[in-house]
Amino acid sequence: MKFYFNFILLLLAGAIEAQEVTVSGSVSDEETGETLIGATVAAPSLGLGTTTNEYGFYSLSIPRSDTAVELVFSYVGFQSQLASFLPKADTVLSLGLSTGVQLEEVVVKANSYQEQMSSTEMSVEAISTREAKLVPVLLGESDILKTVQLKPGIPSGSEGRTGLFVRGGAGDQNLIVLDEAIVYNANHLFGFFSTFNTDAVKDLKIYKGGFPAQYGGRLSSVIDVKLKEGNNQKFSGSGGLGLISSRLTLEGPIQKGKSSFIVSGRRTYVDLLTRGVNRANEGNEDFTPIPDYYFYDLNAKVNHQFGEKDRLFLSGYFGRDVFGFNSDFFNFDFDWGNATGTARWNHVFSPKLFANTTFTYSDYQYNIRNEVTGFSFGLGSDIQDATLKTDFYFAPNNRHTMRFGVMGTHHTFTVGRLQAGSDDGVVSFSAGQEFDGVEFGTYFADEMELSDELSINAGIRLSGFSNDGKTYFGLEPRVAARYRVSDRVSAKASYARMYQYLHLIANAGVALPTDIWYPSTSRVRPQRSDQVAAGFSYLLGDQYFINVEGYHKWLANQLQFVDGAQIFVNDELEEEFAVGEGRAYGLEFSIEKKQGRLTGWVGYTLALTRLQNFETLDPNGRFAQESEGFGPFSPIYDRRHDISVVGIYEISRRFTASVTFVYGSGDLSWLPPGRFTFQDVPGAGFEAVVPDYRERNNFRLPAYHRLDLGLVYKFFPKWGKSDLTLSVVNAYDRRNAFFIFLEPSFEAIEGTDIEVPTGIAAKQVSLFPILPSLTWNFEF
Amino acid sequence: MKMSKWLLFFSFAALAACNLEQEIDIDLPEYESRPVVEAYLEPGQPFRLLLTRSAAYFDPLPTVDNFLGELLLSGAEVEIVHNGATYTLNNQLSLDPQTQKIYNYIAEGGARVPEDSSLPFELFIRLPDGRTITGQTALLPPVAIDSLVVEFPETDTLARVLTYFTDDPDQDNYYRYMLQLNALDSLPEQDFVSDDRLLSPGDSTIAFGTGFNYEVGDTLFTTLYHISEDYATFLESVSGAAAANGNPFGQPSPVISNLGGDAGALGIFTGLAKTQRMDIIEEP
Repeated sequence: MKFYFNFILLLLAGAIEAQEVTVSGSVSDEETGETLIGATVAAPSLGLGTTTNEYGFYSLSIPRSDTAVELVFSYVGFQSQLASFLPKADTVLSLGLSTGVQLEEVVVKANSYQEQMSSTEMSVEAISTREAKLVPVLLGESDILKTVQLKPGIPSGSEGRTGLFVRGGAGDQNLIVLDEAIVYNANHLFGFFSTFNTDAVKDLKIYKGGFPAQYGGRLSSVIDVKLKEGNNQKFSGSGGLGLISSRLTLEGPIQKGKSSFIVSGRRTYVDLLTRGVNRANEGNEDFTPIPDYYFYDLNAKVNHQFGEKDRLFLSGYFGRDVFGFNSDFFNFDFDWGNATGTARWNHVFSPKLFANTTFTYSDYQYNIRNEVTGFSFGLGSDIQDATLKTDFYFAPNNRHTMRFGVMGTHHTFTVGRLQAGSDDGVVSFSAGQEFDGVEFGTYFADEMELSDELSINAGIRLSGFSNDGKTYFGLEPRVAARYRVSDRVSAKASYARMYQYLHLIANAGVALPTDIWYPSTSRVRPQRSDQVAAGFSYLLGDQYFINVEGYHKWLANQLQFVDGAQIFVNDELEEEFAVGEGRAYGLEFSIEKKQGRLTGWVGYTLALTRLQNFETLDPNGRFAQESEGFGPFSPIYDRRHDISVVGIYEISRRFTASVTFVYGSGDLSWLPPGRFTFQDVPGAGFEAVVPDYRERNNFRLPAYHRLDLGLVYKFFPKWGKSDLTLSVVNAYDRRNAFFIFLEPSFEAIEGTDIEVPTGIAAKQVSLFPILPSLTWNFEF
Repeated sequence: MKMSKWLLFFSFAALAACNLEQEIDIDLPEYESRPVVEAYLEPGQPFRLLLTRSAAYFDPLPTVDNFLGELLLSGAEVEIVHNGATYTLNNQLSLDPQTQKIYNYIAEGGARVPEDSSLPFELFIRLPDGRTITGQTALLPPVAIDSLVVEFPETDTLARVLTYFTDDPDQDNYYRYMLQLNALDSLPEQDFVSDDRLLSPGDSTIAFGTGFNYEVGDTLFTTLYHISEDYATFLESVSGAAAANGNPFGQPSPVISNLGGDAGALGIFTGLAKTQRMDIIEEP
């Protein structure tokens, strides 16, 4: 490790120019002490500038001089600050910015568009917690992960569909990190809500392509969620009472200006109601008890600043969904959830060199327990990660910003652990597999400003994975370029190769908590993707930002289940895998307005995804025989057209109205085009209608569209702020298809018990009618 | 009624009034009818099989009066070859009065499947349009039911039943278990397919249990089929296909047949070795 570090420094030393001095530091919110990500630090008189990184750190090189230079610190939604600086020696200059007046009344500077046009980053979407809290949401539960799905390239709104399918990628191809710890299942209640409590989130950014070299391990997207650090200036709180849940966040200084904490919790309470109903009906034989269900999550974080150069963060997340049904003879309990922990140390080695060292722990598990008199049954799966990584940020001058680092993760997998048997031990079944895997990666990237017009971010990542006596290596080149055609037009292009060493074993339908994470093994090769993207940005007037991007993605080593696969309780799962390849391409268009009383965006995506050339992994396995319907096909999430419109309008200081509209081609579904009659063996029942499934995903559901409305009314009591948020989801009561099934009706043959079908109907099931909700939110 | 009950009542009533399930018109992809074969070789029973045809999902259904006539596929030439002998199955409708099962091809002269044979059986069908269906299978040795244990709880008069048998640990085995109440032509109380892969190492006893559903005097017919992997796969794919239609969490699958030939047939050709016993539940 030491050799590696010295070697990198040696390479970079030559680039440091002695004729310059460096001003560095961090930029934060003056009122809360929260560091600001992406704040601009500029020296307009010299035409120089930079932005703070994801840790709020900046470094700007300025020609040595005896004349003071004026620096401008600015950030969207905050008042700009000026600071005078004499560039004779390296200087640390950390500054707090103030919103000054109410956040919503601050004029948002159009320069945020300029930052987007200047950056080599492309295929990136971000959402603010403010936006997430203002757009109308299901049952009033503001959800930043659901809101970001309204952005182009991330198919949105499908009824009951839970995963994120970014640019044709599968649901397991998203790297979701919370304070740098991986979250394996970001869903509560089968995906209707995400695990991220908006009150505790500081920033959410999603990369759809052009992945920076510091990210690896997933093919299709990176969703980087950062928790707030906690107010280090004063004790404060926020929360809300909603239709199905309540939440509370408390934060404050431990040592003012130096250290702070934040604790945030949320719990649903429908179970309290249903338990009361069950109790009231005890002894009523006609009453079927209602199962218990609730979810909760808890976020906590503390940080401390040790002098100017060191800062330590400790954060954690714990969340569970709990489902239970208990009676005298039958007890069923099912729980699932994530736990993550992060210990992070920021250290400023010099004004040009910043390091972030992180240890993270992630755990995702589900457990099912079932007891029937005399018998018990337990099923579960678990994945645990312990990761250590170090990332360096080095800015030798204003033309180069380098990042390099190394990481290692130890994965522990328990797949399909089953224990079943009789209480007397006479009958006993067990199943399950355990794996240990080590994943590692190292990277180097340099963001180079080659001219005022041209910037290139070139990087390389070497990743690897070892398990089952087999080690895989992957070399992942990453490159992104920006060409500034004019002040208003910027063109960008990128290429990224990604390797993914884990696979989510899921069925073809809705994502479930019981989907299993499975490692690459000697037979299951890692997934790989290559993505090229190109596009341009155009600033229309001062208010409208237009972005157009096209992409083409090649996917290799994609896993599907073979026909008739046995998913649960199977120690030979690999026999049931088929491996193939995929291709996705599309065009994304968006126009966004961040300024003025009316803000929002319109997005449109045209996309196509195909999977093909699948072969059974085990040629001698149980399913090696040729099975039909496994040719080229599109995955269920292949959505040809996707439109989203989001508008937020500040009617007055007290009223804000919002509207979202989504339209998408229907999801694909696998329906049987034929049927047959199955008599079966003597003694067995007669099946008059058995579906004959053929090609996969052969039917497109009706188009999905939905209009949601929101209205926020603010109060300004002496103790703080509060609001009432009214959401109306599915305002025109559209019946969108969750799924379609074919239902025969039967009639008995006269004189016999044999029933024969007399009619068949297609039926569509929807999940949501018009759903109004009211939430009270407060801050103090 | 307490406030919470009213709230819940109105919530459910409101959702029920929303009509979230509705009939719609859809166009399914084109579908070409396929022959469907069910050929079970039951030791001691005649060589016989049922040959039907599948249909597009929304094709007109057979009428109740002539359900079989419109379903059966007639006019095929059917042969089963075993141990050097060729058994021709005539296109002749027959009903097994004990099991209420129907067959439309049965061996000439009532030739019967041998009780015990390790030699293969080969099926050959030529359809009226000249296309063919082929298949090959064998008889597996039946597996004995070691015991059937009836257990009454201390506080109830309903009993459960545990069926024990011994698995051969030297090979992969597949089983179909069926439990019928009071009559062999009644619909089974339990009917499932299992394999021996979940047995703990060193353990060879398999037990299938019921709930506490049976009372003194009940007659139980227990059947244990020792089945082939092909047949287990076929049965699982059939039940999977049936279960996936209407279940958004299901994994749809084409039916996995063990038939060859150029007719694209669905179905199964398999030996059906079984052990069967009858028990009457007695006072504990």
